[in-house]
Amino acid sequence: MPQIFRPSADTIARILLVSILIGPFVAIGIGYAVTQSPYITGQNITMKQPVPFSHAHHAGDLAIDCRYCHAGVEKSAFAGMPPTTTCMTCHSQLYTNEPMLAPVRQSLAERKPIHWQRVHRLPDYVYFDHSIHVAKGIGCTTCHGPVGTMPLMRQHESLTMGWCLSCHRDPTPYLRPENQVFNSDWKPPADQREQGKKLLAHYLIETRHLTDCSTCHR
Amino acid sequence: MSSLALNRIDTPPADTERWVLPSGQSDEAVNRIVSAPLLQPHKWTWRAWWIAFAVSGAMTVMMIVSASWLLIRGVGVWGNNTTVVWGFGIANYVWWIGIGNAGTLISSMLLLMRQHWRASINRFAEAMTLFAASIAGLFPILHLGRPLYFYWLTPYPNTMLLWPQWRSALIWDFWAILSYLLFSIVFWYVGLIPDFATLRDRARSNLPRKVYGALALGWRGSARHWHFYEIYHKAMAALAVPLVVSLHSVVGLDFAASLMPGWAETIFPPYFVVGAMYSGFAMVVVLAALVRWGFRMQAIITVSHFDVMAKVMLMASIVMGLSYATEWFDAWYGGDHAERSLVTFMFTGSYAPIYFVMLFCNVLAPQAFWLPAVRRSVFAVFVIAVIINVGMWLERILIILNTLSHTHLPSMRHLFFPTIWDWTLLFGSLGFFTFMFLIFVRLVPSVSMHEVRHILHEGAQR
Amino acid sequence: MSSVTPKQKAAALSTVELDRRAALKLLASGMALSLASCGKPPEEIVPYVDQPERLVPGIPLKFATTLDMAGYGRGVIAISVEGRPIKVEGNPRHPASLGATDVFAEASVLTLYDPDRSKAPRGPKGIASWDAFGDALRTQMEKEKTRAGAGLRLVSGRITSPTLLRQIDGLLKQFPQARWYRYEPVSDDNERDGAIMAFGRPLTPLPRIGEAAVILSLNADFLGSGPHQIANGRAFASARKADAGAEQFLRLYVAEPVLSLTGANADHWLAIRPELIRNIALTVAATLRGEKANAPLPPEAEHFAAAAAADLKSKAGKAIVMAGRAQPAELHALCHTINNMLHAPVDLIEPVDPAGKHGEALHAFADDLSNSRIETLLILDANPAYDAPRELGFKAGFPKLPFSAHLGLYDDETAAICHWHLPLSHTLESWSDLRAFDGTASIVQPLIRPLYDTRSMHQVLALLGGALSPVSYDLVRETWQPRGGDDFDSWWRQVLHDGVIAQTRHAAVSAQPRTIAIKPAASPAESVLVLAPDPSIWDGRHANNAWLQECPKPLSKETWGNTLSVSSRDAQQLRCATGDVITLKYKDVSVEAVVRVTANQAGGAYATTLGYGRRKAGAIGDGAGFDVYPLRGIDEPWLMSGVTIAKTGKTRDIPTTQGQFRLEGETTQFLPRVSLAALAAGLKGPPFEEGPKPTLYPPVQNDDPYAWAMVIDTAACIGCNACLVACQAENNVPVVGPDQILRSRVMHWLRVDTYTDANGGIQGFQPVPCMHCEHAPCEPVCPVAASVHDREGLNVQVYNRCIGTRFCQSNCPYKVRRFNWFGYADDEEYANLGEPPIKAQHNPDVTVRGRGVMEKCTYCVQRISRARRNAEKENRTIKEGEVVTACQAACPTRAISFGNLKDARAHVNALRKEKRHYELLGHLGTRPRTTYLARLINPNPDFGEAKS
Repeated sequence: MPQIFRPSADTIARILLVSILIGPFVAIGIGYAVTQSPYITGQNITMKQPVPFSHAHHAGDLAIDCRYCHAGVEKSAFAGMPPTTTCMTCHSQLYTNEPMLAPVRQSLAERKPIHWQRVHRLPDYVYFDHSIHVAKGIGCTTCHGPVGTMPLMRQHESLTMGWCLSCHRDPTPYLRPENQVFNSDWKPPADQREQGKKLLAHYLIETRHLTDCSTCHR
Repeated sequence: MSSLALNRIDTPPADTERWVLPSGQSDEAVNRIVSAPLLQPHKWTWRAWWIAFAVSGAMTVMMIVSASWLLIRGVGVWGNNTTVVWGFGIANYVWWIGIGNAGTLISSMLLLMRQHWRASINRFAEAMTLFAASIAGLFPILHLGRPLYFYWLTPYPNTMLLWPQWRSALIWDFWAILSYLLFSIVFWYVGLIPDFATLRDRARSNLPRKVYGALALGWRGSARHWHFYEIYHKAMAALAVPLVVSLHSVVGLDFAASLMPGWAETIFPPYFVVGAMYSGFAMVVVLAALVRWGFRMQAIITVSHFDVMAKVMLMASIVMGLSYATEWFDAWYGGDHAERSLVTFMFTGSYAPIYFVMLFCNVLAPQAFWLPAVRRSVFAVFVIAVIINVGMWLERILIILNTLSHTHLPSMRHLFFPTIWDWTLLFGSLGFFTFMFLIFVRLVPSVSMHEVRHILHEGAQR
Repeated sequence: MSSVTPKQKAAALSTVELDRRAALKLLASGMALSLASCGKPPEEIVPYVDQPERLVPGIPLKFATTLDMAGYGRGVIAISVEGRPIKVEGNPRHPASLGATDVFAEASVLTLYDPDRSKAPRGPKGIASWDAFGDALRTQMEKEKTRAGAGLRLVSGRITSPTLLRQIDGLLKQFPQARWYRYEPVSDDNERDGAIMAFGRPLTPLPRIGEAAVILSLNADFLGSGPHQIANGRAFASARKADAGAEQFLRLYVAEPVLSLTGANADHWLAIRPELIRNIALTVAATLRGEKANAPLPPEAEHFAAAAAADLKSKAGKAIVMAGRAQPAELHALCHTINNMLHAPVDLIEPVDPAGKHGEALHAFADDLSNSRIETLLILDANPAYDAPRELGFKAGFPKLPFSAHLGLYDDETAAICHWHLPLSHTLESWSDLRAFDGTASIVQPLIRPLYDTRSMHQVLALLGGALSPVSYDLVRETWQPRGGDDFDSWWRQVLHDGVIAQTRHAAVSAQPRTIAIKPAASPAESVLVLAPDPSIWDGRHANNAWLQECPKPLSKETWGNTLSVSSRDAQQLRCATGDVITLKYKDVSVEAVVRVTANQAGGAYATTLGYGRRKAGAIGDGAGFDVYPLRGIDEPWLMSGVTIAKTGKTRDIPTTQGQFRLEGETTQFLPRVSLAALAAGLKGPPFEEGPKPTLYPPVQNDDPYAWAMVIDTAACIGCNACLVACQAENNVPVVGPDQILRSRVMHWLRVDTYTDANGGIQGFQPVPCMHCEHAPCEPVCPVAASVHDREGLNVQVYNRCIGTRFCQSNCPYKVRRFNWFGYADDEEYANLGEPPIKAQHNPDVTVRGRGVMEKCTYCVQRISRARRNAEKENRTIKEGEVVTACQAACPTRAISFGNLKDARAHVNALRKEKRHYELLGHLGTRPRTTYLARLINPNPDFGEAKS
């Protein structure tokens, strides 16, 4: 009876058998990598905005306080976006004919709001509250990154649930003194661990509650 | 060497005549009878097969349509309601997984208990197991509100840093089914290797030769091959027994590990295992009768086979009867109001008629097996087996409907009314099962040739 | 159900664009709404051009305003997020609210965003403009001027608004020949006439229920829905406090043909033909006079009357007798006499609604129509084409009218036959003022710019007067200028802040009733039809409100329609069963109705409710139930004796959320009823057991500052459903529609269970939210940990984690979990509830659940969280009373208490120590955090065999 298979068939068979074993694990690994990639998280992707507003210039060079534009940040869940009039407080004097600012002037003239592209976007079932975070010593740049150096705003962190939990499980590495919360170039001191523990007590933060589902999901 | 290995398995020697008729009393005969449907089927068989294939194919399409509509429109298309949140989906699952138990029971338990007669039925019983289990696996997923996320039941690394909730019986279930499926596939396939080799050698045309050849993984039937095969096969069989028992115990825990009257009972796991074995055996009988008749295998699937299987079912029916009685007794003896009123509801409530039919099917009807005449009439055994399968499905659905619709607080008591989509999915799954089984018998030897040959050798050696 | 035409859809869409820019000006979708769907296109943030002073995006604002209930004012605090009113709560300062609400107040926000509201004027030639109407009106009014308004007629419902009355008054001065017809389908003519008989003038009696020790209600449903419900409910509960003692504890006798909410709360209830009720009053009156009554009564009723009379006499000074709106004027007069004899705590005030009899108005209107005296007809927010009595021959007389205009929220039955339809602004969109049932005036202030091109009634009346572009705001201020005095603006600000205008309550006047002789009634032969306003949609004006349509009726638990209730005795004779369709014939009119058999009804009396069978209500209201208005006569609005019933052979399923179940044996533990005596003796045995059940689980103990718990006093619950609708409004609970209800699917997070006792009488009401068990059976069974406990003892359901195995609900002994079988709030909404305007009502702090997800009561976790965040920002813990759940806030009788068990001073802790305290199904060891106080009953010990 003639041979049905060539000797190479053995090798193929063996490879197949092995790949059946490791295949699933490889698949999971790839899946995990993808879900963490910017492609999914939108990390470090800059969007086109109606006005190329530069945080680097305003927050960085001019060192304007975050709260000047994001006025709601200490009171409300939503940090607040500056109404056109806020822009015009300065720009009715400065760069009054700057073509770049045409949309702002137009907005005021026509009483039509500017449509910004949302950069930091959480799912709708996540109830994030800016005010409580800044009140408890989490600085702007901790989540938004070195805003003062960003010509165009981008999402600096992954904003995945895992990322949130990393801090909610142990905030100590990120806590700042009250006067440093809005400091856009704050650096953790060498003894941040100890400082953090002190601040945890100072802010009366109940860490165990921070990982309850009901803290962020309702 | 090989004969040594064989002796170790099948001693004491078999009383061959009972299990293989003279017309099949040779290796060649066995191979011919079994491989005929695959390599040179009768015209007659062909036609019958094609008709069955068409019908079951149509039913499969029906299942696909039903399932697709379910996924498009939402699980609301079923009859489930706010009170009876579970319905056909879970019942079908429990029923199918029950059927899925028998194959492995036959091929492993009977093997360990040295019941040689299993040789001629274990192959398609295992196939049945495989198909039933995989169909069963579909239902829990289809029954989900958001089937898309069924994989959240698996522990995989994710950006949410979340894991499954290990206290939930559904998780245990998930793993039980998964491991059982994988196991069955491997066990079944390995058992097939020697037969694939046989087919490879008997195949005339090139394509079958290549396909079966590949599947045979270069089996040469050398003593060394047999040696490893036997060791492996027995080891797997030994593993199978606890697995198959645990599988349906876990299914039972889905209900037992709850707070509902009629569910929170310690007898559930054993009661479910027996029930599973019961319905499984019934299904094996049905298939055995069909294969025997369809492929003219009277020579190797004999009346004696039906005789013993009838005995097994008789025993199971008695155990089932006992389990039901235990439920009633517990309710009365426990004295809990909810439990008692539930039993009252079973016998007098809206589902009482179904309940009585169920009792007839599962407990009364099989008592006919006390009569040898009935046991030895293939047709009678076939009919009763079908009745048992119906009865077992009714039992599964009643376990859910009685408890859920008769909940603690009267204000929330509502009845369940199935919709067209409940029925189409149930019958569709039956069609799909048949469909796969028909394909199986056309492509794979439906009886394990090498094991039947062993029996012959046993006979010869005496 | 009529569906929505593409045109309407388009209109709705465009208007939403418009209202977002003009009215809301809010941060767009992502900020505003939270919908549980992902994978949306890139999101925009749309800041203000010029941000309003007080407004901080993300922080809700509260404004005091007033809502209209059948013309009477009900003060509320409206909660508004980014310019959208999304919820109303009671205004504690307002006498008709006392901080609580009723179903109608809660549902008003849904009406505001109803996609079926008319959005632009419609003229004889289709869609028109207000200017076009103005021109048409002007020419018409020119004609009227020449004949002093002889052809001008105004038709409206009850009007208590001082400004409106001022305007109408001015108008009638301007056109002396003009007439104003005021009628309400739910009229109070009998009460009015009774007062006139007794006192010679139409004084309105206001019983001080809180001070009463005995009340005999003669067919008076004072706890049923209506403008008084909240106030009466609160007073009733306060008069039945457990600690009051047997002497003070209010005992309620109710004699009525059909079980009402009041009857369900009675200690002694008597089913009796409505005609015979006067004989009870006569018996009582005689007994008080010490005479022998000669008013024949069935023995059972006689026994009842005697006992009640004796009780009333013994509690003179603290005893009240009330007569219902369906009872004849003489009986009301007689009750005044009786109350006078009893020195009953009843205030008499001048009528708040100055207009005369509804019946007279209707007669005159009918007369005018038939003699075609009407040239210019203006219908102000009334719907005579639907709800006017049969005599009116409305449709017949109508086409002859030269000029007719209808002002209303909807393009309804009446609008359809008028030349003009004018869209009316919703109460939450306009400035106005209203008087409560006791005369207290309050301002109606808008929370949102009109969503559509609508006008207020003030503006339209001013147009009539010849004004060019009237502004409601000015008109209202004008009215109050004299009262405000010199520093008007600060007065005005104060009034707006308080939500009531001080010292506007009508002072009680003293008057001696004449004694009028009334003849006893002979026991009637013919069957009688008893009508009543509907507990869910009142007289039909709320028919297009899906929350109200789906709100189960307190006693029958029906939704989406009405039924003809028939006593079981009659049902046997007629051989009809629940669900049979019969034809109800009265005089020459007949109506097809669905039968519901009930034990709680007098033989020979059939009963049903008004407001259904709407033909042009909108996508929600059309076709639900059957219309009984055609049977109604002007002078017999409530009782129609001589109705006949004929079977049609057809049957129809009634969408009910729960069947009637008897509580017997152990099941009485679910809703125990204890008498004062038993309470005093101390309660033994289940369900009243001390100490927790043994358990294998570790005790739930932690050093966290909070452990939330709820205690529901079933003794206080009158079953009004306010909590249920409040929960729906607060938590974005979707509506499922009648078909789903028929398939036993509901979404209400909070249900109100009613059980019957062995005699079929209502055992009481039991609101059932999630129990938040400490050992929650739903938690260990969830494979993905979507049902978990948080550190504060809340049993939370994580929607975005849920995959819908439904194991939790199948294992929940209380069955309080709700499953989204379809996308009830997620692209598979019922009827038109998926349209954009509705979304504007959603509470942005609560996720809108998608298909295939389990949901349930959360103890209003969003409110807890807000309170916690505020407290933590101030480095303190949450104070008692800082978290008020929606159901708790709504409850008129304060039956629901919520608080922190870790706070020793918390009210819930006190309640949990009460003797009446028990756990529902506590023996299962679930350790529920929601617990109950047993129902209290106060039967008359001398009554003998009560309630046979």
